[in-house]
Amino acid sequence: MTASHWRQLASVAGLLLAWQILVQAGRINPLFLPAPLSVLGAMWEMTRSGELPWAVLVSLNRVLQGFVYGSLAGVVLGLLAGAVRWVEDLLDPWVAAVYPIPKSALFPLFMLWFGLGNPSKIVTIAVGVLFLVLVNTMAGVHAINPVLLKAARDLGASRAQIFVKVILPGALPSIFTGLRLGAGMALILVFITEIEATKAGLGFLLWEAFQLMDTRHVFVGVVTFGLLGVATTWLLQWLERVTCPWIQRSN
Amino acid sequence: MLLALRDVGKAWHIARTGERVLALQAITLDVAAGEFLILLGPSGCGKSTLLQIMAGLEAPSSGAIEFPTPTGGGKLTSMVFQEYALFPWRTVLANVAFGPEVRGVPRREREERARRLIDLVNLRGAETRYPHELSGGMRQRVALARALANDPQILLFDEPLAALDAQTRRVMQDELLRIWAETGKTFVYVTHSLQEAVLLGTRIVLMTAGPGRIKRVEEVTLPRPRHLTGRAEAALLDRLDALLGEEVQRAMAS
Repeated sequence: MTASHWRQLASVAGLLLAWQILVQAGRINPLFLPAPLSVLGAMWEMTRSGELPWAVLVSLNRVLQGFVYGSLAGVVLGLLAGAVRWVEDLLDPWVAAVYPIPKSALFPLFMLWFGLGNPSKIVTIAVGVLFLVLVNTMAGVHAINPVLLKAARDLGASRAQIFVKVILPGALPSIFTGLRLGAGMALILVFITEIEATKAGLGFLLWEAFQLMDTRHVFVGVVTFGLLGVATTWLLQWLERVTCPWIQRSN
Repeated sequence: MLLALRDVGKAWHIARTGERVLALQAITLDVAAGEFLILLGPSGCGKSTLLQIMAGLEAPSSGAIEFPTPTGGGKLTSMVFQEYALFPWRTVLANVAFGPEVRGVPRREREERARRLIDLVNLRGAETRYPHELSGGMRQRVALARALANDPQILLFDEPLAALDAQTRRVMQDELLRIWAETGKTFVYVTHSLQEAVLLGTRIVLMTAGPGRIKRVEEVTLPRPRHLTGRAEAALLDRLDALLGEEVQRAMAS
């Protein structure tokens, strides 16, 4: 561990410790800010009872389905739009129109169309992920050095071969940027879609705790969302390292 | 004769202004088997465009390009670009094997061929490295091996050494001559460097500033190795310098 690591550890441990002491000393009302150890205790209870793992599974199912559908559509459409002019022309106005809309604002419409169950939640997440992945994939294709396309053509590659062997790997780093942003978006949207008209999931757990003024359980939800965020970031970073070993990384 | 340009011209349309700019005019030139042909001219004289026309990457606006000798299904030309144009996501071996790969050569065979060429350009041991792990000179060696992998009759070089430092450029010039002699390929080489033209070429085609026309063709029969300080070399250098100087003046005046 370097000095920098120690300072980071000290920062986290120091703040948590001060927080714990201030609550125990009665300086902070635990109704607003429960002590770290009591949150940890609540987390452990809810894990043992199966309540928390079940909520995580329900939410993860929605997140994963939405993320997979959205990013697959985003990558395919983004590559096509980046490589084929008329596809881009067909897509451009829709991207310009829908991209700026907060995707949570579409959730009521999707509930109207797809019902109150999982499908409307998954579609909301998929649409949110799709646009982020699509825009980044297109940007990745446009950023490919044109001389690489020329070289591939000169070496005898067909249009299809150029698509698979030059455009796809060339856009891959940008695609991963889109996937990382999309994963964050998926977590935001799963929370929003689980506030209303649902009886399960991490967002539901958190919101219900809030309505009962059970701040400890609100914190359990917040911390678990944070852990899910960290885990998806790690997973995507690992996937990027494995699939793009050529990318120069600092440190 | 491998390739003949007959009265080739190229014009660009500039969409923004609606102008038509003549880049090349009335280029008639034969490329003979085994020669080291230099296309020399000031910046913007259209020599790179001419190379792209030879590669089939650009179509001429007028005139014709002829390939009198049948190539037997193989590719006639392969290009080496100034900015290397290596695929960053492919290792050295996979970069060199790209041409045979897209032409359907089986893996074993194309990798064997790639290894042989990596040996030829003195890069043995670098097969599994990625382009960003190589120096500029090494990258250009990979680009050369990759161009050779399709076994073309003509190699087209677009200012391949312009981005290298002076020392590396000297080494690479010698390497190019060695590989030219070893492979017996025809080299067509675009440069704006008089020194490079005199050191490398068997024939120098001097081009005018835009629109690019052929101003003079010099046969170079000087023995090798050549030295820029040699008397005959210096005389040729002076003569070309005067001719090229006129064109640079014209280019700046227009």
